Amino acid sequence: MADEEIVKLVNEVFEESFEIEPERLKPDAHVFNDLGLDSLDTVDLVVALQQKFGVKIRSDQRVRAIRTLDDIYGFIAAVREESRDS
Amino acid sequence: MRRVVITGVGGVSPLGRDVAALVDGIEQGRSAVRYMEGWDRYKGLQSLVAAPAELLDEKRIPRRKRRSMGRMSIFAVQAAEEVLADAGLDREELGGGRVGCIVGSTMGSAESMNETFESMLPERDLGKLTSMKFFQCVSHTASMNVAHYLELTGVVMATSAACASGLQAIGAGYDLIMSGRQDAVFCGGAEDLHPTVTGSFDILFATSTGYNDRPEETPRPFDKNRDGLVCGEGAGIVLLEEYERAVARGARIYGEITGYHTCGSGVHVSQSNRQSMVQCMREALRQADTAPDDIDYVNAHATATIHGDEEEAGAIREIFGDTVPVSSMKGYIGHTLGASGALELILSLVMMRKGELYPTLNLEIVDPSCDGICHVTGKTAKTVNTVLKNSFAFGGINAVLVCRKV
Repeated sequence: MADEEIVKLVNEVFEESFEIEPERLKPDAHVFNDLGLDSLDTVDLVVALQQKFGVKIRSDQRVRAIRTLDDIYGFIAAVREESRDS
Repeated sequence: MRRVVITGVGGVSPLGRDVAALVDGIEQGRSAVRYMEGWDRYKGLQSLVAAPAELLDEKRIPRRKRRSMGRMSIFAVQAAEEVLADAGLDREELGGGRVGCIVGSTMGSAESMNETFESMLPERDLGKLTSMKFFQCVSHTASMNVAHYLELTGVVMATSAACASGLQAIGAGYDLIMSGRQDAVFCGGAEDLHPTVTGSFDILFATSTGYNDRPEETPRPFDKNRDGLVCGEGAGIVLLEEYERAVARGARIYGEITGYHTCGSGVHVSQSNRQSMVQCMREALRQADTAPDDIDYVNAHATATIHGDEEEAGAIREIFGDTVPVSSMKGYIGHTLGASGALELILSLVMMRKGELYPTLNLEIVDPSCDGICHVTGKTAKTVNTVLKNSFAFGGINAVLVCRKV
C-alpha cells in the first residue's frame, strides 16, 4: 500500500471516529495536544486502526511511542511491511 | 416540613424530540407505532411492531461527552437539556453538590449491548471492543451520562426496576429532597429499542403479535381485542425541587408530589398481582393524605397485556370504583419501559395544567374484565387538581405517585 493510501486511511479514522476536521490533520499534529484525544480515545484509536488496516497492533510496544500523525503513518507502514515479509 | 415540587419537564418520545411534540401528537390522537423493517430477520420474533423515537441532532453534544452515550443516554441528555431550559436554571447552579440526578432504565443501552456481543461473537474476540462500549452498556449509563453532561456534583443514582424505573427515580428524588440531602434532583427514566428487547417480552407471550399489518391499532389498553404490549423508547425527565427554593427563584411549578410508594408483590416475577397494586395505591394515597374520591384522574400503567390490564383495572375498581377517570397513554407511544413512568407523569401534569383528559387510544370496546372503572375514551374537559400515576413492573414491582396542583 502506497504511503498516500496510508495517510488517507489513517486520516479517515480521525474524521470518522473522532470527528476531527480534515484541515486539522497535518502530519506533525500531536495526537493529544493538537487533536485533543485522551487516553480512553487511544484505546479506540487502536481498535479503529486495526479494523481499517486489518492488522493487530494492540499489544505492539511501538503504539506507546506514537505522538503525531506522522508517527502513526510510519508505524502502520512498518507493520504492513512486516506482515508482507512474514 | 420540606415539600417537593416539579419545576421542569423534558422528554424525547416516539412522538417527537420534546414535550411539545409529545403533547401535540397526543392531542391529534396520533399513534407512533409502526411496522419495523428488518425485524423479521430475528428468527422466532412474532411481534414486528414498535414505537421508535428519532435520534436527532446528537452531534450538538460535544464528542468528548457523547462518546460514552448509547442511544438511550443521548435521549436522556437531550431530555435533561430541555428540563434545564424549561426550569430556567443556569448551569452554574448545578455545582455545589446540592443538585443530583437519578435516571433509571431496565438495563444499559440495548443497542450498544447488541453491537458489543455481535462484535465479539462467534469467536469471542475482544479485539474489536472499544473502550466506550462499557460506558454505553452499563446499567447506570443514562444517569452517569446526564450527570457528566450537566457536570452535576450531587447524588447520582440509577433505579433499575424495568417499567417502574422512572417512577422509582422520581420517588427516590422525592425522598432525597424530603430528607434534606439534596435541594433539587433531575429524575426520570430512559430506554432504547431493539428487536431483542421486544424479543424478551415476545418469548413470554406478552407482546402484541396480531397487528403487524395494522400497527397503529396496537397496543389496545383495556380493550376486548388487546393482545399484548408494544415496545417504545425515549427518555422522560422532571426536575424536582425543594418548594421554598422554587418559590424564592420564581420557578413555574407544575405540581407538588404529595405521596409516593413502591413495593413488591412477592408473588411472581412476571405476572401482575392485584393485591399488591391495591396496597401500593392505598399507601401512596395515605402518604398524600388524600382520599380516593379526591383524585381527579388516574394515569394507568396498562400496557395492553391480557392479564396486566385486568389486574390493574381490578385494583383501580376496588379503590376508585367507576367515578375517577382513568386512561393509559401507551396506545400512542407504546411501552417506553424505563422512560414510561416519567413520560406518562409529564403527560398527566400537562392534563392537570390544561384541565383536559386524554383518552386511551385504541380503546374501542372495553373488555368485561376491565370494566367497572371510568374509562376516558374521548378528550374530556375536566378540572384536575390531583393525579395518581401507576407503574407496575416485571418482578412484581409497583410504584405509585400522587401529585397535586399548587
